[in-house]
Amino acid sequence: MANPVMQFQILSKTPDETAKFYATLFGWTVNADNPLGYREINTGSSAGIQGGIWPAPPQAPAFVQLFVAVEDVKGSVKKAEEMGAKLIIPPTSLPDGGELAVMHDPQGMSFGLMRSS
Amino acid sequence: MSDGQFEEKLKRELAARRQRNPRYSLRAFATFLETNHSTLSQIFRNKRRIPVRQLRSWGKKLGMTAEEVAAFVAAQHVPEPSTVRRQEQLRHWTAEALAIVNDRCHWKIIQLTRSRGFQADCRWVARQLEVSVDQVNVALSRLLRLRLLAIEPAGRWECLLGREEFTEAAFTKRALVRVRELAAEDGVELRARKAKAH
Repeated sequence: MANPVMQFQILSKTPDETAKFYATLFGWTVNADNPLGYREINTGSSAGIQGGIWPAPPQAPAFVQLFVAVEDVKGSVKKAEEMGAKLIIPPTSLPDGGELAVMHDPQGMSFGLMRSS
Repeated sequence: MSDGQFEEKLKRELAARRQRNPRYSLRAFATFLETNHSTLSQIFRNKRRIPVRQLRSWGKKLGMTAEEVAAFVAAQHVPEPSTVRRQEQLRHWTAEALAIVNDRCHWKIIQLTRSRGFQADCRWVARQLEVSVDQVNVALSRLLRLRLLAIEPAGRWECLLGREEFTEAAFTKRALVRVRELAAEDGVELRARKAKAH
């Protein structure tokens, strides 16, 4: 299985303001009507990837994560750890049946692994 | 020391002089800079920092402009990347600990997951706790990061501290122990040091 980048996620200290900024700037639509209250971004285009906005922890700067599709989240976490990555959020089920995990690569850059439902 | 600092500039200058004259020595370079060759050697081996006054003087001898020298002086004041990294880690873990102490959302979410009629829906949780969905999600992310909560495949939120009943104080204590354990894995010691008696 290939491992494409599936989604970008903006971690923002002020998610509403961030949503408003990008929606106004690019005409994106943002919908948080889902069990996680996750602000899903629809760029309105089939080109490129879609994204979302999640509230950043107060101690962190605003940043962007990329989520990469994997077939086996736990297996990919294990492999990444063997390669020096650090697990931040262990494999977690999503309300739609998917699964995700968040890690830091060996340079400390945050990235996500996801399996869609 | 950071890349691009004055030490590197000196090394490049010495290398250039040696390329022009293979017999050009460290001692000769030190003499040119009006310093001791062992001092220069220590600087090259990162055993000694260059005082700003020295940097200005050497910069002038090397024909650098005041602007170039100013850039290197400014660079001397930038903390080492390892220091910055350590400060970031310390800031992160202390913030995690303080959030557990200050934000009761964590405890209330754990308590709520054990209640009848719990709904694994952040919007529902926010309504129950009378906080915003963002506040729930910040706390939820922290509980997941600290391995205090897991979201199981069926969407069930599972407290990872066991099934027995515990008080808020007991939760806070166990959560703080978890923060300390994870910080230690990250090379950060959060244990309070006892003040020495005088």
